Amino acid sequence: MDTTQLLKGVLDLAVLAVVKERDGYGYDVVRRLRAAGLEDVGDASVYGTLRRLYTGGHLTSYVVPSEEGPHRKYYAVNDAGRALLAESTKTWRSFTDAMQALLGLDGEEAA
Amino acid sequence: MNTTVDGDVARYAAAVRAAFADLPAADREALLEDIEDHLVEVAAEPGGTLEERLGPPEAYAAELRAWAGLPAPGATRRRLRSSRLARRLQRLGAAAAAHPAGGAIVGFLPELRPAWWVLRGWLAVQLASVGLSLLFAHDITLPVPTILGSQVVGLLATGAAVVGSVALGRRGTATRRARRLTLAANAALGLFALVLLGGMGATRLTDAPTYDAYTVSGIYSEALPGLRSDGREISNIFAFDAKGRPLRGVRLYDQDGVPLVATHEDNPELESRLPLDKNGDAIANRYPREQYRVDPVTGERRPVPAPRPQP
Repeated sequence: MDTTQLLKGVLDLAVLAVVKERDGYGYDVVRRLRAAGLEDVGDASVYGTLRRLYTGGHLTSYVVPSEEGPHRKYYAVNDAGRALLAESTKTWRSFTDAMQALLGLDGEEAA
Repeated sequence: MNTTVDGDVARYAAAVRAAFADLPAADREALLEDIEDHLVEVAAEPGGTLEERLGPPEAYAAELRAWAGLPAPGATRRRLRSSRLARRLQRLGAAAAAHPAGGAIVGFLPELRPAWWVLRGWLAVQLASVGLSLLFAHDITLPVPTILGSQVVGLLATGAAVVGSVALGRRGTATRRARRLTLAANAALGLFALVLLGGMGATRLTDAPTYDAYTVSGIYSEALPGLRSDGREISNIFAFDAKGRPLRGVRLYDQDGVPLVATHEDNPELESRLPLDKNGDAIANRYPREQYRVDPVTGERRPVPAPRPQP
């Protein structure tokens, strides 16, 4: 199954989770998502998602000067972002519970 | 890692920016303000050019646009696409954006939009002034237009028009009809700007302005001195009879009976020897003139040969 189709619904959630864990700049977020197993995630998708969450008021940003490279714009989750993440997590859980049951995968996860 | 944005990054970023040219400047900046820095990070990883790694910039831009929750370019550009000319222009724009220098320019063009809004306001009043000049028979004045015979009114009108134009530009056009109207008005004002520039150039050539606002008397002012045909100076005239034999001592006058006097403002190396009447005055309208070309270095005079009539 094409994971990019699945990602469409949950990239916001994944990005918020990664940034909540630790503040990050754009490409850093891409790398951490890929390291977490979302290898197919597109660079532009993450960049666009970060900008949308930022303009939507769910992320704050600050610039960290770098001696060896470009200045980096770090993103951090604010209260609104945390609220969105909590709500989305709830939705995600009920959705995956339903899918697990539907696919007969109940119990496998608990093992 | 490079601290400067290298050619690959600059080129790629410019092409991505060009794909967002349909967005209002503020939206575009909110989206792309750190795209270069971001691409530098990507480029710093080993392995190929940005295009090899991220795909074509247009596709990257489309993905970015979709995830940023912005309307597809088709939503704002569909009308333009419908015409063949617009398609060709778009292809041209894409080709220009692909070139490094062109890409920089295409990416930079949208930033000139506010300047156009200001210029557009001024042009609108200047155009109104030209229209009113037909009624009130006043001159066209630059840079401050004359409205109702007054440059003060013209200045106030310009201020109001600039504010209105900028407001319109910032707000954007909501409906398709409004957009079409704006496009047509922009085109008309652009054309008018060219005509105005042409008129300005013509007066500039002859006499330097002696006051701060110089005057273009009518838009189609023919201000170059001398006898001219389509702007080319006529320094001598040769007449032939019906059988093609050259005529000598012909006196020429224009439609008002004014002697037609050839000039050589543009050809200072020419020298004319004019015949004198019985009072000793030169007969300036007698043709053909006896003319010499003077060598600027040696001072040597050579007679200018007469042309043969073209059949």
